[in-house]
Amino acid sequence: MLLGLDVGGTFTDGAAIADGKVISVVKTPTTHGDLLQGILTAIDQVMEEVGSKSFTRIALSTTIVTNALVEGNIDQVGLCIMPGPGMDIVAALPVAPYVLSGYIDHRGRVLTMPSQDEVIAACHQFNKCDVFAISGKFSVRNPCSELAVTQWVRRQASPEHITIGSEVSGTLNFLRRTNSAYYNAAVWRQFNIFATAVETALKARGISAPVYVLKADGGTLPLLVARDYPVEAIFTGPAASVLGIMAMNPTEIPALSLDIGGTTTDIALWQNGVPLFAEGGASVGGFVTALRAFRLSSIGLGGDSLVYRVRGELKVGPMRLGSAMAVGGPGPTVTDAMVMAKLIEFGDRRLAMQAMEQLAINGQTPREVADVVLGVAVNIISQAIDDMLAQQANKPVYRVADIVHGTRFTVAQVIGVGGCAAGLVPLIAAHLGVPYDLPKQGMVANAIGAAVARPTVDITLRADTAEGYYTVAELGIKNKLPGRKFTLTDAYQLAAQHLAELAAIRGISLGATEIIQSEEFNVIQGFLTVGKIMTCRLQIKPGVLMNSEEGL
Amino acid sequence: MDTKKLGLVFFPAFDWAISPVHPEREERLLYTRDQIVEEGLLDMPSIQEYKPHIAKMSDVERVHIGVPDIGSLITNAHLVSAGGAMAAADAVMRREVGRAFALTRPPGHHAMRVVHGTRGFCAINIEAIMVEYLRKAYGIRKVAIVDTDVHHGDGTQDIFYHDPQTLFISFHQDGRTLYPGTGFTDEMGSPMALGTTLNIPLPPGTTDDGLHTVLDHLIMPVLADFKPDIIINSAGQDNHYSDPLANMKITAQGYARLADKLKANIAVLEGGYSIESALPYVNVGIILAMAGMDYSKVIEPDIHKCPAQPLAVTRAIKNLVREQQDMWGMREKLRREAVFKAGDFWSRTRNIFYDEKGINEEQTETVRLCPKCTGYLTIGTEAYGAGFDYKSAFAAVISQEACSHCRRAAVDAVHNAKKQGRYQYYFVQNKYEDRLETM
Repeated sequence: MLLGLDVGGTFTDGAAIADGKVISVVKTPTTHGDLLQGILTAIDQVMEEVGSKSFTRIALSTTIVTNALVEGNIDQVGLCIMPGPGMDIVAALPVAPYVLSGYIDHRGRVLTMPSQDEVIAACHQFNKCDVFAISGKFSVRNPCSELAVTQWVRRQASPEHITIGSEVSGTLNFLRRTNSAYYNAAVWRQFNIFATAVETALKARGISAPVYVLKADGGTLPLLVARDYPVEAIFTGPAASVLGIMAMNPTEIPALSLDIGGTTTDIALWQNGVPLFAEGGASVGGFVTALRAFRLSSIGLGGDSLVYRVRGELKVGPMRLGSAMAVGGPGPTVTDAMVMAKLIEFGDRRLAMQAMEQLAINGQTPREVADVVLGVAVNIISQAIDDMLAQQANKPVYRVADIVHGTRFTVAQVIGVGGCAAGLVPLIAAHLGVPYDLPKQGMVANAIGAAVARPTVDITLRADTAEGYYTVAELGIKNKLPGRKFTLTDAYQLAAQHLAELAAIRGISLGATEIIQSEEFNVIQGFLTVGKIMTCRLQIKPGVLMNSEEGL
Repeated sequence: MDTKKLGLVFFPAFDWAISPVHPEREERLLYTRDQIVEEGLLDMPSIQEYKPHIAKMSDVERVHIGVPDIGSLITNAHLVSAGGAMAAADAVMRREVGRAFALTRPPGHHAMRVVHGTRGFCAINIEAIMVEYLRKAYGIRKVAIVDTDVHHGDGTQDIFYHDPQTLFISFHQDGRTLYPGTGFTDEMGSPMALGTTLNIPLPPGTTDDGLHTVLDHLIMPVLADFKPDIIINSAGQDNHYSDPLANMKITAQGYARLADKLKANIAVLEGGYSIESALPYVNVGIILAMAGMDYSKVIEPDIHKCPAQPLAVTRAIKNLVREQQDMWGMREKLRREAVFKAGDFWSRTRNIFYDEKGINEEQTETVRLCPKCTGYLTIGTEAYGAGFDYKSAFAAVISQEACSHCRRAAVDAVHNAKKQGRYQYYFVQNKYEDRLETM
């Protein structure tokens, strides 16, 4: 039996799944001061419903990291960077770093080693810091400088935690890695306090199931590993819903999912049964990071969005005054329009009618008002969908073949989940001229998603046969290449070995893997081919556990 | 809508090469891509990445006359590269960004109006296609092109040689010491356009100092005089001290400061073959400068390898600047004299070499100097070479401003040539009606 928990802004949802079937669903208010209380209440309720505490796994999707950041409940981080020549990124970082010398070039060659004296000076400047983050340009091509600095910092300042940039992400983008490393160190303490509290509380209840934490890319991490990489636990709410969709509605055709809640709608695009990822990574507080996340477009429109007139014109959202008038709320909402138009049954229809009457002008009937309101809401969501599709179509590609033969993403199906999907999704699907699906239990897609999310991890292997070595940044590896002839197939095999190694370290079962990026270039000097540069990025395929045939 | 933003069309054509070990190969912008991505440049709010369009054949034929047809002489990569420059132009003209940089390959500045094949790694001229597109789509008239590639931009010069509305400035390593062996100070444009071609052949060994002397005392004042509607930079990067194909000593800082001063509306990558030691740094420098960001920290790790400028070079550059300042000052007088001397027609015959396949082209251009309009141009071309079938063509070019008399005369010239039957193919490049006709 799998247990999934999703802590949202309003509710903490829980879902238990056994043999591919949802056997329990609970909803409790989120306890903002102490998230754990709400989580424990949900667990207790599930245990009561199913009459057992023998979970095989508990997966948590929480706002603990997001809250720590929003509330500024974070540690001061001793951020040391080695930017070398190039853009001055200091102004683009969330805090002022200590800039160390030392430079690795694009081929991973050490051009200047960092200086221990500078590191000592940095430790003096950061003498109030208990956590450090260390990041160097092109460290993913050679981690030696970051590792040297880490050792010196450990010796000099003995901090409680050090985050290393190349361990947080193995792909190019010094700015994003640096921000990821910084945020990871910044939330490390708060997350660890929470993790300890979770473990203690579960132990007290006699629950021995392993605890996993959901990541923004829809994978999960064992809690023990998440203690070192807490920033991975950010923005998991939308990811949980997306996974829930994957579990409830496995689809291979290009699809669009709409998670319509009370105040927001999250839109995701799907290809080959998986959602598309955000380019580069997620943004945290306006700063780009290397955190892998689904590409979601979030708009301020949901069932509780207020409906009002501005100079006679009907407007919808993004503000929310409270719940729908149909259930005693303070003002007319989209939900009231849906009730009036008989798209859903909810609350008191007479109150919904009153809501529409409030908005009527020029002798409009309440039903006519409701139709206009829904038209406006559908237009807002459709505009966001169009923008997202345009963005997808304009995504830069770097090969002639991809431009000439590139295919446009064409939505073939709409999947709707979330509390307010039932009323709006059929209208949007009709607008797009495609069929729709409203999976049962779409209201708790998030908790179901957390319950069934597969553990994932990815690595980037880069082999440079001209230089005669390969690197796997996530493992801090720079090794000599075996043999003289090294092909892309060899690179895949080597990457698979190291992925298995990393999975073992992280306590994750390997499962199906997939190549998410691969490229190969000849290196030519003068007019001679002197070697090849190969890059392959391999991951444990994200997905859902127990995706049984009978569906959920 | 952010006119301070830089639009970046990055298209490294990772699946295209002239041949496997050719300098113009898949790997050329690999290290540049690595540097740009690793720096995080594509995540900067002041930089917006764009995807190239695919140029249409009609966009290409607005500039080129391919023999027997342009389609058979190019690949899709060329259309995407030209389309990349056009996408950069669109981003600027729609005011989505203030400036744009088309960091695309293959390059184009050695491609002339008539095309028999590839020369100097170029088959079609991507800047020229962009310029004519700007004129067609946005009604731009006065254009200044500043070619900062180490090789003379002979293709661009050829295409705009008779066009007084296009100021073409090229600085490059002296043609006596480098391909394509042209770009001397006496190549100034045909009589009606005299002075709107300005060549600055620099001695080998020129450093940032020499380059910025030329920029401050010649190029910038000339641009200020000409008052173009738009400034285009043919941003070749092979003046770099580490370039394997040339002998100049410019640094990434030198290039970035140039981009900063020039403030080109659109820059288009041309050559640059020091793919590991120069391009990553030069491109980052140009991008930062064009985006109005701090580029002071973009310094090559091996900067100590860049020598100082010899005194003799400094002196030669000073003299050259003075000579070209004088020419620019007298250009109106020189133009009147040349027009008077030429009479109704001006003509030149050249031999043009296509290094890629060893093709020799013998070309005669005749310009009608019309007192009422910009006249018309006829071209007779014959190409031959070992392992290359003889090809010949006769073409007339009708400008957008041609008077009705010139338009008729141009078509008549082609009909007469066809009657005589000396050539295999006959064309009218009719810019007035925006089409290339095969007669």
